[in-house]
Amino acid sequence: MQRPKFKGSLFWSCIALLTFFLMSTNAHAQQTSADSRYHNPSEINNALDDIHDSNNDITKIHTLATSPGGTDINLIEIGPEVDKSNKELPAIFVTANLEGDIPISSEAALHLAQLVISENAAQDKTWYILPNANPDAAAKYFSSPLVQDSRNDKPHNDDMDESVDEDGWEDLNGDGIISQMRVKDPTGPWMLIEGDTRLMKRADRSKGEVGMYKLYTEGIDNDNDGKYNEDGKGGVNINRNFPHLFKDFTETGGAWPGSTPETYAIFEFAFSHPEIAMTFSYGATNFSMVAPKGGRQGSADFQNIEIPENFAEQLGADPNKTYTMDEVIEMVKPLAPPGFEITESVVASFLGLGAVVNPVSDDLKFYNELADQYKEYLKEKGFDEERMDPEPAKDGSFELWSYYHLGIPTFSMDFWTLPKPKKEETEEGSGLTADKISEMSSEEFLELGEEKIAMFLKEIGAPEQFSAERVMSMIEGGQMTPERMGAMIKQMPSSGSSGGSSDGASEKDKALIAFNDNVLDGEGFVEWTTYDHPTLGEVEIGGEVPFVRNTPPGSMVDSLLNAQVPWTIKLADKIARLRILNSSVTSKGSNIYEVSVWVENENYLPFPTAMGEKNQQPRPAVITLNANGLEVMKGKTRTPITSLGGHEVRKYTWLIRTKSNTIDVNLESAHAWNDRTQVNLGGSK
Amino acid sequence: MRIFKTTITTILLLILAQAGFSQAQKIEVPLRFDHYYDYSQVVEAVKAINKAFPQMTSTEVIGKSEENRDIWSLTINNPDTGEPLTKPGVYIDGNIHGNEIQATEVNLYLMNYLLTNYGKNEKVTAMVDRNVFYFVPSINVDGRYHFFNDANTPSTNRGLRIPKDDDYDGLFDEDFPEDLNGDGSINQIRKRDPFGQWKTDPKDPRIMVRVEPGEMGEWTILGQEGIDNDGDGRVNEDSEGYVDPNRNWGSSWAPPYVQSGAGNYPYSGNVTKAVTKFMMDRPNIIMVFAFHNNGGMFLRGPGSKEEGPLNPRDIAVYDILGEHAEKIVPDYRYLISWKDLYTTYGDFTEFTYNQVGAFSFVGELFMPEHETYKAHDAKETEDGDSPGFGGNTERERERLKFNDYVVQGALYNEWETYDHPKYGEVEIGGWAKMSSRLPHPFMLQDLVHRNASAVMYAASQTPDVSMEIFDTQKVEDNLYKVRVRLINKNSIPTMTYHSVQNKLFPQDRLTLKGNNAKVIAGGELTDKYNNEVNYKDHKPEVQFFYVPGNQAVEYEFLVEGSGTVNVEYISRKAGKRSQNTRLR
Repeated sequence: MQRPKFKGSLFWSCIALLTFFLMSTNAHAQQTSADSRYHNPSEINNALDDIHDSNNDITKIHTLATSPGGTDINLIEIGPEVDKSNKELPAIFVTANLEGDIPISSEAALHLAQLVISENAAQDKTWYILPNANPDAAAKYFSSPLVQDSRNDKPHNDDMDESVDEDGWEDLNGDGIISQMRVKDPTGPWMLIEGDTRLMKRADRSKGEVGMYKLYTEGIDNDNDGKYNEDGKGGVNINRNFPHLFKDFTETGGAWPGSTPETYAIFEFAFSHPEIAMTFSYGATNFSMVAPKGGRQGSADFQNIEIPENFAEQLGADPNKTYTMDEVIEMVKPLAPPGFEITESVVASFLGLGAVVNPVSDDLKFYNELADQYKEYLKEKGFDEERMDPEPAKDGSFELWSYYHLGIPTFSMDFWTLPKPKKEETEEGSGLTADKISEMSSEEFLELGEEKIAMFLKEIGAPEQFSAERVMSMIEGGQMTPERMGAMIKQMPSSGSSGGSSDGASEKDKALIAFNDNVLDGEGFVEWTTYDHPTLGEVEIGGEVPFVRNTPPGSMVDSLLNAQVPWTIKLADKIARLRILNSSVTSKGSNIYEVSVWVENENYLPFPTAMGEKNQQPRPAVITLNANGLEVMKGKTRTPITSLGGHEVRKYTWLIRTKSNTIDVNLESAHAWNDRTQVNLGGSK
Repeated sequence: MRIFKTTITTILLLILAQAGFSQAQKIEVPLRFDHYYDYSQVVEAVKAINKAFPQMTSTEVIGKSEENRDIWSLTINNPDTGEPLTKPGVYIDGNIHGNEIQATEVNLYLMNYLLTNYGKNEKVTAMVDRNVFYFVPSINVDGRYHFFNDANTPSTNRGLRIPKDDDYDGLFDEDFPEDLNGDGSINQIRKRDPFGQWKTDPKDPRIMVRVEPGEMGEWTILGQEGIDNDGDGRVNEDSEGYVDPNRNWGSSWAPPYVQSGAGNYPYSGNVTKAVTKFMMDRPNIIMVFAFHNNGGMFLRGPGSKEEGPLNPRDIAVYDILGEHAEKIVPDYRYLISWKDLYTTYGDFTEFTYNQVGAFSFVGELFMPEHETYKAHDAKETEDGDSPGFGGNTERERERLKFNDYVVQGALYNEWETYDHPKYGEVEIGGWAKMSSRLPHPFMLQDLVHRNASAVMYAASQTPDVSMEIFDTQKVEDNLYKVRVRLINKNSIPTMTYHSVQNKLFPQDRLTLKGNNAKVIAGGELTDKYNNEVNYKDHKPEVQFFYVPGNQAVEYEFLVEGSGTVNVEYISRKAGKRSQNTRLR
């Protein structure tokens, strides 16, 4: 967390205030400046230039686009093929801070660039590192007043009135921070949390709680429409502007996928570099630790396809039955005009099957295995302190697009979240967890007693009809086992917001307060102080300081990056690598030979992902046979390899006729290295 | 044009054809519609129109194709009735699919018709004065060029020239069709084979029908005219392209594995990008017609079920326009894209409805059913439904007779023997390139006129808003009541309800201003007889709303002050109106 510095200029703050309106204020003037450990957008581009200058034989700077705010989106290429436009080696694409409000992710990308060079990690592959994909938003961390906002500078009329970007925030109390305003109002939905009146929660009227406050972000109603700060500057959050599960008409997603140059440039770059074998996104999610989420409804299911009535008759299908994709293809084939090929995508498109929206199970296998390895790795580094969970990937994000549309291994990393507040094992707590319950026998569970069970049910926020008495009778009667109950509890929505604590603060807020009080010396939270607002009357201004939840104090950054960034290089070493393992020849006489080649994927990750196999976006590898006067009698001269699992070996066989003594076998792949061998025909029998 | 085996005859034919083009009659206004315009003739026609009507028209090259051809637009606007952006915009395009060429002729016909009838025909004059017309007559210019200049089937050269590895073998666009017999069309190959699955139709030996169980066959169909260029055992399976420009737009776009032809990402094609920029720069567009072939349909969205039904109030507007259109063009039907045809993602009209905020139709031009050869009292052989992939032998016989007796054989290439490098002696024949999806030129005039009339009907219904201050009344001392009425006498509202609902852009705005006046309260006059006003909480001097079709809305301002006040109405799609009144 940056510490607001008190060295600021009183003069400028006063001028700023005076331009809004003249009024007395009890605010002490401060100027916020970012923690100097973090690099602002122009410093990031300069840092890339510095890396390039001292390593110009193996690096190159690409400017992909210019942001609406006028900053170049620069990418550094590191690798032995910087001068080649068609690469033979595979590449890793790393992008950072697409949300623009996660400064540590850009630091991690710079750190990675240096590490790739110092560790010689670019000898057999290319790295494309884009450390600051949303520079307009990223600049906000370095400006005053401090505000956390993921939108770029593309103008957008949020409130659909007669002006654009006319009602943004104001730092009313002059502390250099845009925080919150709370106003006493009997119709307000918010209430104070007993025990810590710094925190607020939504009143639950069904529990007899009464709301007393309205909450606003700090500022005035510039356009006099009764709304506060509803049309600030910008724009588009780049990490909601990608096409997978993109939603129209959202506040920050942009008009369409790629509607802003930062995103469109990434599309163009990714698809013009078929050598990209893996991507990383440094930001708020962590696919290195938690596999991409499944369980979404409405995913295209190619195994259970329903045929709508209007097609069923023509196809001779039963609209009440389901069919597999292969079955449907067979039904459609006889109806196709000659030369028109019926593929999965043709069927998917005319039946409107839609997109895949859950990770393919074969991919989850590697995600989960690698997540376990990562946790082990962090433990060894002494980084196993419990911290708040990384965020799940958002619809329209780069991560989901990369996994679902590019079809290559896609990882992400967040580098820091608040430490989890220590659970005080007070006498009042039940001391129970879902895991503990799962392992109990029914007898052991019942022995806990009604009081303890009731306490536990309350902690997990169980609905009232699940009284301890009822649960006990269900277990007694055998309708429920502790194991099933534990599993059910685990599936309940995470108790992140309602928390398990008696004072009602969410776990997130408790983590914030603990970190603020214990580590930041109170600099992470603005104490509520009264303020005379021009239209709202007496308000209190205060609340959490922006960035406090995702931006550690500069002094922590190096150790965080030293521990976590190298995992990127370790994962990158696991991308599929194809090679020719072996070959054999059997002479059949009359210059006819049976040639066999064994191809191995010698690395851990599959070629490509199961999703990539489905979307056919990654280029296939191809085995070609070359010899003078070669005639391929069985098999093809170009044999595509469309998939090969991690560590899998597959045999390919041809029947050929040639008078040549040797035959060249080439294995070509855009993103899994190349290999070749020469098979000697003469020496075999 | 790729030629596999160039015979002397082919070369001679080509030279003749080129000579024919260069000797083609100079393009003059009024344009003629007894032939099709190739790409360069389209450009000539647009320039000729512009030259003939320099005041009323302007042209712009809106972008370049993948092969660097210019994409031309033409705008019709009468400068005497205002700047383009102050009028409802009617946008028309065509030929987004390269082979669907007559769509361009509808565009050329409409521009020619509007301009040559301006000042002569009252209705045309009124619609030209009140609207601005934007045309992009040929979107997929590379496709049009290659459709005319290369050998094709009636359905090939639909997409953009973005290389694609269709057969997923690591090579791009390496196995394309060849015009083996040099007749300018890609046809079918058949080979005599007693064990084949096909025989000739006893009534017309040009038609191939499947053998019945228990019969010996006569032929094997070897597929499309061409060779197996890449030696993978398949013929013509990886031809030039295929990104379908009508699946490449950013609204509900889905990737290629969900629907083939989507392109790797939205707006990966030059032409989709160029047209998007053109349209986003013209926010006044409220009506869109995109012409295709074929089937005789006026399609409206949504393109996919996932998007849910349209707003019922928009449907009511579509119904008015669509039901007129299907009556203006005989046998055409007004249909819902996903439900009545098939699902599409990221198509053009999805984009124009969602992001431009325009009522949008796809016009599928031409019905092969209109190629008739029958007695006036002949019984209908079918119900008129499209026969789907399979075809219908009875219909095929009639179409061939139409070919023989109505167009003197111009649409069909008779089966002729050919010595194929791989298959040996075969026969090549079938429907010619310029058939099946296009009318013969003698039917073109009727097609372009009727479809242009469907557009003109919609253009006559774009919002026509008039404003009147119908009451200025003293309440007391210096407090006045000013009442304003906005009337839309046409059936298209000033905004689609979809864009209102989704806050696509700011609604129409009514502002009262005066040097000596302050608006105390203001709002919609919901019941003028009982003086019920829905006063707005903040900023009463600015009111936001839209004017539905064939309706009026009324607003009241309570104004403190004196002197002249001005009331101004500004609509993105329906222009500006302004009126003064005196407080007294």
